[in-house]
Amino acid sequence: MLPVERVIGEEGLAQSADGLKLAIRLPWYRSLPFSVVEVASLAIDGAAVDLSDALIEYDGQTWPLAENGEKVDTFWFVRDSAFLVLPSQSAATGSDLEVSLNLFVSPPYIPGMKRTNPQTSTLTVAA
Amino acid sequence: MATNATGPQTGVTLYSFTNEWLTRQFEVDTLLAEVAKRGLGPNIEIIGFQQFKEFPDVSDEYAEKFKELIAANGLNPVSCAINSDRFLKPGQQPIEDAALVEYHKRQLRSAKKMGFSLVRYQFALPVHLLPEIAPYAEELDIRMGVEVHAPMWAGHPAVQAYGEMYDKLDTPYLGWIPDFGGTASRIPESMLDAARAKGASEDLLDKLKEVWLEGGMSHEKAGRLREWGMAHGHAPLHIQAACLAFFILSNHDPKSWAALVDRTIHIHGKFYGVSEDLVEEAIDYDTILPLFKDGGFTGTMVSEWEGHAYDTRDAFEQVRRHQAMARRIWGN
Repeated sequence: MLPVERVIGEEGLAQSADGLKLAIRLPWYRSLPFSVVEVASLAIDGAAVDLSDALIEYDGQTWPLAENGEKVDTFWFVRDSAFLVLPSQSAATGSDLEVSLNLFVSPPYIPGMKRTNPQTSTLTVAA
Repeated sequence: MATNATGPQTGVTLYSFTNEWLTRQFEVDTLLAEVAKRGLGPNIEIIGFQQFKEFPDVSDEYAEKFKELIAANGLNPVSCAINSDRFLKPGQQPIEDAALVEYHKRQLRSAKKMGFSLVRYQFALPVHLLPEIAPYAEELDIRMGVEVHAPMWAGHPAVQAYGEMYDKLDTPYLGWIPDFGGTASRIPESMLDAARAKGASEDLLDKLKEVWLEGGMSHEKAGRLREWGMAHGHAPLHIQAACLAFFILSNHDPKSWAALVDRTIHIHGKFYGVSEDLVEEAIDYDTILPLFKDGGFTGTMVSEWEGHAYDTRDAFEQVRRHQAMARRIWGN
């Protein structure tokens, strides 16, 4: 996997008071506004996760995933992980889960380009 | 008339080290130090939105810190790449012209504040907005060079439209930044190998090579290959790997750069793989570079290794070879 194709962040998966939290990376060479990034799909152990109550946590801010498309002024620094927070999901710490994430990225200076970035990894749930 | 006393200079864009950067092997300070230590500077280019978290609005405090870092490493911050992010909501209308003009001004101010002598900007900026932005660059005293990137080359209609506007505005603050991807002689074998490693089969790659040589816009050709690939049962990810070639390389005449030399203020030396005997895989530098030296160009060519888009070879070694190749051809 090339670094520019990585979508599951190095910080992995953790169980927190807010729900299950997955680190995600921006699969592009430069920072982009969150508005051009779409979580296309997430599956855990093969089961599709309902993202209707999911949140994005980034750099001290949190917002509903559904508002991502409006975040035209919030830049995702290409070096930083953001976190996908899943309030309805939980998992035992120390357990291994297979996570499949796909992000769509539409670079805002290339009209019509939409990249698909799937990645599947087995992650151990941290506390 | 430009003097040819010193000749063209070499340098590097930190974009070459994208993989090392994204995997967090370096911070801004340690990457600058590594470039200096390996003698790959002193001239450098940085993509604002790649290296600076505060971009597009860099604070005075960060700018000061950055200038100190640059000075401490003995580097020369030549070019800051800026972006024309018009399509902030995918599938919807582009942002208003006034907002796009302001977006460029914010980036120009940040680049100037950090000590860069020029910005590399994009054709995604509609040409009719240049009269609003050029006077601001002049006021700030920072030059703007548009990156002539594949699928564009000297003969592309967008380049011609910019050229007409450049004639009209007639200011030394606007110029060209050739990237050379628009005049590739072939698709690099390393890129084809990377697609093979991902599972793309030979018939898909043969079709890629065939379509790549055809006429038409890059996105149309990519669409043509995608359609053919889907109809012939190729996986979407294999097709995506093959289509990369359309967006970074096209095969116009390498000698066509001669038409742009007079207004070239900086060169973005795109390359994919330089062999040990100093020959680039896809772009014919032996034909292209003499045009600039003979034409009196005395600015900087920064080495832009883009092989990182599909492989993880040692970027520092690739940049070293590219600079050595330029010195071989330019004789300095």
